[in-house]
Amino acid sequence: MSAANRPHWLVRWLVHVVTYAVALTMIAPFGWMVSTSLKTSQRAIDPNPSLLPDGPPTQWQWNHYVEAWDRAHLGDFYLNSIIVALVVTVLSVLFCAMAGFAFAKLRFAGRKITFAILLATLLLPYQVYFIFAYFICSWLGYIDQLHALIVPFLASAFGIFYMRQSIIAVPDSLLDAGRIDGFTDFELFVNIIVPTVRPALAALAIFTFMASWNNFFWPLIVIDSSDHITLPLAVERLSAGQFVDSWPQRMAAATIITVPTIFVFVLFQRSFVEGLALTGVKG
Amino acid sequence: MTGRSTRSGWAFVAFPLAVVFLFTALPTVAGVVLSFFVWNGSDAPSFIGLGNFQAAMTKDPQFWYALRNTLIFAAVTVPITTVLAFLFAVILNARWFVGRTAVRTMFFLPAVVSIIAVGYVWRWVLDPKAGLLNATLEWAHLDALFGGDLPAWLGDNPWGLGAMILVQIWRNLGFCVVLYLAALSQVPKSLHEAASVDGAGPWQSIWCVTWPCVRPMTAFLIITGSIWALQVFDLVWGIWGEAQMRWTDVLNAHLYREFTHLRLSYSATIGVCMLLLTAVVTIAQIRWMKRSEEADR
Repeated sequence: MSAANRPHWLVRWLVHVVTYAVALTMIAPFGWMVSTSLKTSQRAIDPNPSLLPDGPPTQWQWNHYVEAWDRAHLGDFYLNSIIVALVVTVLSVLFCAMAGFAFAKLRFAGRKITFAILLATLLLPYQVYFIFAYFICSWLGYIDQLHALIVPFLASAFGIFYMRQSIIAVPDSLLDAGRIDGFTDFELFVNIIVPTVRPALAALAIFTFMASWNNFFWPLIVIDSSDHITLPLAVERLSAGQFVDSWPQRMAAATIITVPTIFVFVLFQRSFVEGLALTGVKG
Repeated sequence: MTGRSTRSGWAFVAFPLAVVFLFTALPTVAGVVLSFFVWNGSDAPSFIGLGNFQAAMTKDPQFWYALRNTLIFAAVTVPITTVLAFLFAVILNARWFVGRTAVRTMFFLPAVVSIIAVGYVWRWVLDPKAGLLNATLEWAHLDALFGGDLPAWLGDNPWGLGAMILVQIWRNLGFCVVLYLAALSQVPKSLHEAASVDGAGPWQSIWCVTWPCVRPMTAFLIITGSIWALQVFDLVWGIWGEAQMRWTDVLNAHLYREFTHLRLSYSATIGVCMLLLTAVVTIAQIRWMKRSEEADR
């Protein structure tokens, strides 16, 4: 919007007020979460809630964080979540990029038909396939193992499609030059494709990581015991009254689980938003 | 496309395709087949044709409640989120807005955090007695709007469905804003300049230039937003729990409950219904958008 096209100052002022009010609403639940986690159990359920915990910050109930961490075994669940999300992200981005490269730039028998089938699976809601995906995992002996949260996610139709769309834009002349230098297809992939489509790889990595980290439905299906649950499941059990029994402690646990995602997001905000923009345009 | 036909193509796609085939394509076919059988996972399955679908239509009132709530949920959240997201994206794209980056981050935060983690924060916010929402409404003297009685947001009443819609908009708004911002950055500046030369004010410029220019993004957001809304699960499960309620149940929650009760074939039937519903809604939207695009030409 050019300077000449600025709305009236009163409108601008109003727009700021409304937008900041909505932005505050967006983060209010997080503020409420942290505030409650530092209140005493008594004050937390007071029907006339106060904005901040009583007294100066030194008197706030910081011990709820230690208690929540210990009693809810958050350390173990953190480890599960990190293992699953990291392995899935690294391998899935690699496999999707490889398949995307083949579909975009290589000729092989059955390429068109397999790609068409792949695109069709993109439209399927998981509600139709999770039952037999469960039985296949059970047949492979994955139930209640972290394998069940990793292997099915090592490649995705979305990721392959996304990488194909990004790689197809790489000029063929680059690849031809590589071939003249005697590169094999694999060397072309490593030396030319990967460096060229790095932004798309980063975007896919962030999506995959967030999807894996926040996945709830599938772990709920395949993980039975407490040993191998990931953070979202741990939180769900917390809220059902398992592990800890007081509201402030639950809020402390929720804060402990939420803060790293917020941290990662703020840290990688630029590539995250750019990645979103990329998919949006492709979509 | 370069190079000769090679065998190495299959080396690149074999494993990724095997994963997608094994955990998506094959189970889908099996799931659709299962919806024509009765099976609890252990006994031999027996064929009943369309019996499961008939049971859902005629003998399962909960299916209808879940279907109704899912449809209302999608029909209300998607347009509101899309329009609000467009408006806020235009605002956050304006140079005169102070603190754009900070506000964008605040908008986007709900989208990156696990809804399960903030789920019981929301349960707390929505709590009819000690919750933030009702406290705010009371503080602002808005209780009169609700006839003096503040709603029980977590209860089995239409307000519960309303609260679900509220949380969904809260969660998805920032995501849509960011996508719109990306689309806005591609609108040629010359168009706005031309419009202002022609005497268009800021509002006309927004509705007559910006809005048509971002139509592909609007279409994308409406289609994907509808698919997500029709398949909503984590939000409902995390905040309203597994209770079978008339106003806060959705298809996906109903399906999961049937699965845990080992009525596998019935669960698959609900899944197939969701697939059909998603397909019908998506195809209808695409056709409608194509027609309105052609009408504009």
